[in-house]
Amino acid sequence: MRTAPLLLVCALAAAAALPVAGAAGPNDARWKLRPGAQGKLCLDCHTGQFQDVLKKASVHTPVRTGDCVGCHNPHAAQHAKLLADDPSKTCFACHDVVPKAPKSTHKPISEKGCVSCHDPHASNFKFNLVKAQGDLCASCHKGIAEGAAKAKVKHGPLAKNGCGACHNPHGSAKATKLLSNEVPGLCVGCHKVDRPGFAAKHFNYPVAKSRCTSCHDPHGSNKKGMLYDRVHAPVAKGMCSQCHNPAGSPAALATRQQGVALCRGCHNQAVNGMMDKNQIHRPVAEGSCLSCHNPHASPAKGMLKGTQLQVCGTCHEDSIKRQTLSPTKHEPVKDGNCTACHEAHSSNQSLMFVKADMTEMCGACHDWLKHSSHPMGAKLTDPRNKNLHVDCLSCHRAHGTEYKHMMPYASTSDLCTKCHEKFSR
Amino acid sequence: MAVIPFRKLALRAAGAALLLAGAPAARSQGIALTFEQAVYADGADKDAKALKAPRGVACGETGGVVVADTGNGRLVRYALREGRLSGGTEIKLPQLTYPVSVELDSKGTILALDGKTRKLVRVAPNGTFQGVVEVRGASGTAVLPSSFAIDAADNLYVLDAATRRVLVLGPGGAMTRQVELPKEGVFTDVAVDASGTVYAVDAVGVAVWSAEKTAPAFKPLTKGMKDKMSFPSRILAKKGRLYLVDEHGMGIVVLGIDGSYQGRQLSLGWKEGFVYYPDQLCMTDAGQVFIADRDNNRVQYFTSVK
Repeated sequence: MRTAPLLLVCALAAAAALPVAGAAGPNDARWKLRPGAQGKLCLDCHTGQFQDVLKKASVHTPVRTGDCVGCHNPHAAQHAKLLADDPSKTCFACHDVVPKAPKSTHKPISEKGCVSCHDPHASNFKFNLVKAQGDLCASCHKGIAEGAAKAKVKHGPLAKNGCGACHNPHGSAKATKLLSNEVPGLCVGCHKVDRPGFAAKHFNYPVAKSRCTSCHDPHGSNKKGMLYDRVHAPVAKGMCSQCHNPAGSPAALATRQQGVALCRGCHNQAVNGMMDKNQIHRPVAEGSCLSCHNPHASPAKGMLKGTQLQVCGTCHEDSIKRQTLSPTKHEPVKDGNCTACHEAHSSNQSLMFVKADMTEMCGACHDWLKHSSHPMGAKLTDPRNKNLHVDCLSCHRAHGTEYKHMMPYASTSDLCTKCHEKFSR
Repeated sequence: MAVIPFRKLALRAAGAALLLAGAPAARSQGIALTFEQAVYADGADKDAKALKAPRGVACGETGGVVVADTGNGRLVRYALREGRLSGGTEIKLPQLTYPVSVELDSKGTILALDGKTRKLVRVAPNGTFQGVVEVRGASGTAVLPSSFAIDAADNLYVLDAATRRVLVLGPGGAMTRQVELPKEGVFTDVAVDASGTVYAVDAVGVAVWSAEKTAPAFKPLTKGMKDKMSFPSRILAKKGRLYLVDEHGMGIVVLGIDGSYQGRQLSLGWKEGFVYYPDQLCMTDAGQVFIADRDNNRVQYFTSVK
């Protein structure tokens, strides 16, 4: 008997919701609210929380004007918190902040939505941000923020105006990395390249159209001239012509030789050492040192173009991805320390391992396995394959598997009974 | 990765291919590899030397199989008689200390790529050194072969890492044409089919590119197939199909000559019938398949069944 009136109420509510299939606009007249009821009516129930909200420094316009139905459907909705539409669409109905054809978009917008940075009702920070801009950016970009804070040589725009001085927090139609313009266009907006001082500082090389961030850290550094912390010796000494044509020549930025032939000038012995091994990493064999290294300056050890995860991941994405899917993480892979196990240039071992003996290599971190472990070593033949001996990789895959303990099988018994067959059920 | 008892492996692979094929007309596309034999050494006696990290294998139509026993720095020649590999004659040459890829031409001459010197070496059927393939007529910088294939007329298809192109050489080494590779991608192997179409595999982009017999450049044959493979480092075109060795995914992926996905064979394991970092594979006209099972230190022999 009670279901009929309830269904009627639901039907009416649904009918009332019909006009707002999309996001409700501000001051939407379709709700036919009684005069003076707008907003005030909502606050009759939503009392406590909104008394504080309305006192905050930055109150979202619909909240301030009492236009709750600008975002919410007062009767029923398909979306959480009675939002009239998908949260992102609700915001974009008024805030057209993401470029139509962006070159880059901020990850939180595409993944978590606007509320990961903004409070939709009110906050004490400009633009309704949930934290002060610097702190908010640092909550994800911790490494950059810490580096910038510690840097002895600060970049003025960052120090004065924060990240927004160069980056658009929503998206950029012009550049990658949310930059308001591509480098060097962005940099030359402040750093006038036609001034004599600019040329002198760059040893008269025509770098006005070069990529500034291949040498300079835009977030600040500990080096003079805001160069990255690790500077290639010829750059540090201002001896650009060691690698490039003379500054006044027609093709001054061209290098004197191509590829590894140029690098051999100083690193000949190291390159010969690499070539002397059996397994030579493809970029080394191809003489393409710059596949991995930055020739001028770098924030990373070994003058790498980025972190090991980034550089190695350019080609070995599949190996790194395997770790992300694994319930058990292997620290060197997780931390991007690929060279803990693999040689970067060449090796005489399988998979370019740093050592031939797996017990030795794994034991460098897992010391206990040298004295307290399943029997392993050259004297113990793998029962599954007479050409192998038992070692760590007999039971584990170092980049992880879909199973715990980086095992190749779902359970320990599945693994053990591959060799100990008599215990197989 | 769930490991399937080997007895069920071939049946399951064939079944999966059938399911993927869907339409009855396409069901004949399914192919299964059945394990026949694993070879661990250069002979059967107790003094036989074990294979070590073999990266290459080539099979001729006259019953010869040559293995690039990379870790031991040698080639090993086997005979295939009555469905069994036997023998195991070592070919050790100072000009070929690190063979990584091997092919046989129509006369039984062995062509092997040395991974250290990046030179293509010719070895006579009796195991004597015949010389290095000197590439003639190629413009630009020195040729740096990273892999190669051979067709029925003994033309060589050399993947040149230095200039991102495939050089087509006559049997004597004179370049007859070159096929440009795309600027993006990491190309690790090349194959040629009976019609002269050349295929190149991008192991990082997980895609196959092809160039018809007279085409000047490669075109994409497939889109990226990262949902099907991890790191396809080798490719073979044989009998109207493409066989990709998924080196990191531990298996063989079969594509139609049009790039259509037809199924996956084999899986990770150490027992016979399974693979651990597989490398080069070859196939005879009779459908006998040999795989350099690199990190299992052996070569495995399968027969292919439709």
